[in-house]
Amino acid sequence: MITDSSSQPDTLTATERARIDASTAGAVLLFFGSAAFWLVFGSVFEFVGAIQLVYPGFLDGLSFLTYGRVVQTATTVLAYGFATPAAIGIAIWLSARLCKVPLAHHRLLVSAGIVWNLGILVGACAILAGNSTSLPLLAMPAFATPILFVSYALIAIWILNTFRERKPGALFVSQWMVFAAVLAFPWLFGTASAVLVWNPVAAPAQPAIALWFSSGFLNLWLVPIGLAAAFYIVPKATGLPVASHHLNLLGFWTLLIFGAWTGGSQIIGGPLPSWISGVGVVAAIMLLIPAFAVVLNLHFTLQGHYAPIAWSPALRFVVTGIGCLATYWALAAINAIPGVNAVTQFSDIHRGLNHLAHYGFFAMTAFGAIYYIVPRLTGNEWPSTKAIASHFWLAATGIGCIATGFLLGGLIQGFALSEPIVTFRSSMEFAWPLRFLAMFGSLLTLTAAVNFLFLFAGILLETRKNQAPAFLAEREENSQEPVAV
Amino acid sequence: MNKLPLVFTGIFFIFGSAWLGLVGNPVKNLGNLQPVPDEATDGVLPPTVSGLAVAGQKVYVANGCVECHSQQVRLAPLTTDIAKEIGTRQTVARDYLREKTALPGLQRVGQDLSNYGARAGEDINAIHRHLYEPRSVNPWSNMPSYSFLYKVVKIQGELSNEAVIGLTGPHAPKPGYEVVPTEQAKALVAYLLSLNQTYPLPESPVAAK
Repeated sequence: MITDSSSQPDTLTATERARIDASTAGAVLLFFGSAAFWLVFGSVFEFVGAIQLVYPGFLDGLSFLTYGRVVQTATTVLAYGFATPAAIGIAIWLSARLCKVPLAHHRLLVSAGIVWNLGILVGACAILAGNSTSLPLLAMPAFATPILFVSYALIAIWILNTFRERKPGALFVSQWMVFAAVLAFPWLFGTASAVLVWNPVAAPAQPAIALWFSSGFLNLWLVPIGLAAAFYIVPKATGLPVASHHLNLLGFWTLLIFGAWTGGSQIIGGPLPSWISGVGVVAAIMLLIPAFAVVLNLHFTLQGHYAPIAWSPALRFVVTGIGCLATYWALAAINAIPGVNAVTQFSDIHRGLNHLAHYGFFAMTAFGAIYYIVPRLTGNEWPSTKAIASHFWLAATGIGCIATGFLLGGLIQGFALSEPIVTFRSSMEFAWPLRFLAMFGSLLTLTAAVNFLFLFAGILLETRKNQAPAFLAEREENSQEPVAV
Repeated sequence: MNKLPLVFTGIFFIFGSAWLGLVGNPVKNLGNLQPVPDEATDGVLPPTVSGLAVAGQKVYVANGCVECHSQQVRLAPLTTDIAKEIGTRQTVARDYLREKTALPGLQRVGQDLSNYGARAGEDINAIHRHLYEPRSVNPWSNMPSYSFLYKVVKIQGELSNEAVIGLTGPHAPKPGYEVVPTEQAKALVAYLLSLNQTYPLPESPVAAK
């Protein structure tokens, strides 16, 4: 059934909006604030790791700053300290807004948020101290993950409860996405923690499960939340409904079906039954279907209305993020072709793709959502438009340098690694200049993260009473909500 | 798509099928793999590893060595791994029976280690020297120093028979001092030497030259 309300985010009155936002403010600001803090923390380690990749002598000989621990700390903190809390914040806010009910007992969620952050602190310190499990995206040791799991269980129950209490009416596409993601995360994280960290299964079974988890973490948790934010913000910024209900349906279901199976595409020709990598390859290529459905749908919605990118920080970040997601899916599909993968596997292309998805897509989209949501929760506007613009350009240039460096360098390195007559030494030396470029990109994203933290502190502390919404440029037409940025 | 229970059912079946396929199936089948008997030595393949090597894997895991070193020889002729002499046959799931944690790896910033034990040679001191100061072995190496796995102690009379000799570079000991491996370093070396897939398995025979 196609109704107006299923293609429009929400049609609440200003009073209702204010009442719902007041109920989510505490918890959502806590999650966004801690995300901003851990983003800086993780980016520092990311930058140190990037330096060490180019200059291996940098800070070596110190146990807690050895390359392997630094990189795992950065990955873990960015995934669980930054990306996941940002996703939780977006999920809480979107579900309350779209289900049209205020959040009940929001203080409990604040406590869950505090527990979550303690878990990240314990996990990060444990990895630096040498308690890592060395599993991709699951490096935190068995004593840190239960803390996160308990905290998350509380959060998920609260979001699902919001869905249960929702006001009658059509479900908007962002609601499906949030609903699926909120169910996917405990399924992925609980299973993977149980069989890989808490009570590990025999080693031959581990790689398949580890890859199921790391690909699911992206495709079934971060991607649906990022898309939920995009499908909310884009219609809000243009004031028009989402173009096609059918493309929504197609994109949503194909994302879940194929996103769940892509893990095997990362271990082609490796130590697993060949059907696992075969299914992975098919799934990674089939993800082009949701890629087209989502990108075309957002494009049709924005067609003729791209102008707000000039002044709306939220839309500018979200559109950049979706562009990165489309690029990522296209490159991941090419990379999954066995003949290509034989050359590119184990090269820096893996890093490049990861950065494109986790930072280029998710972080950028989450920044957009945060720029949109936070002024509605605090009641005051972002302190400086210049700082938002510099955040955007630093982050976009940074991810551009990282992706270019690792993808291009990885291609050269991959050919060197696979060509029998080329020595291993050459594969390192060919990749070096482009790793240097990626290191420069990491410096830019670190600067962007610091910039963002200052902006976030500024809006919370009301450093500058800025009555006008923080538009990046003169606004040309009205958007749906009076304070929309 | 306005009925939440319907959406839930759809999500449940989609996630559930992938979960059965990529978690349940590996746990049931790969998780119960057993070593195969080896007629030549009356032992089993893959051969069991020493307790010291098991302890060494913990050092390997704790320091995130997997971030740079893979441990898998991929299928030939799809890939050139065997042509590049990383190994003599494809690594299969059963090979990981020797390990507590499977570390197939996602990167080759450093060399693949699946057959390190087969190519390392007898010189234990050279391996310690490589770990303590990689550039004293290969001037072009991009491996960091693992000097924190070693102790620098004052030479008491004669050089200790464990001392790592031939060190140069910024971490080299001052005159009158020597570098001796800690238990962790010894375990790590035992683990690295245990990485050896030159034995044949029924599902992955050694490739003919």
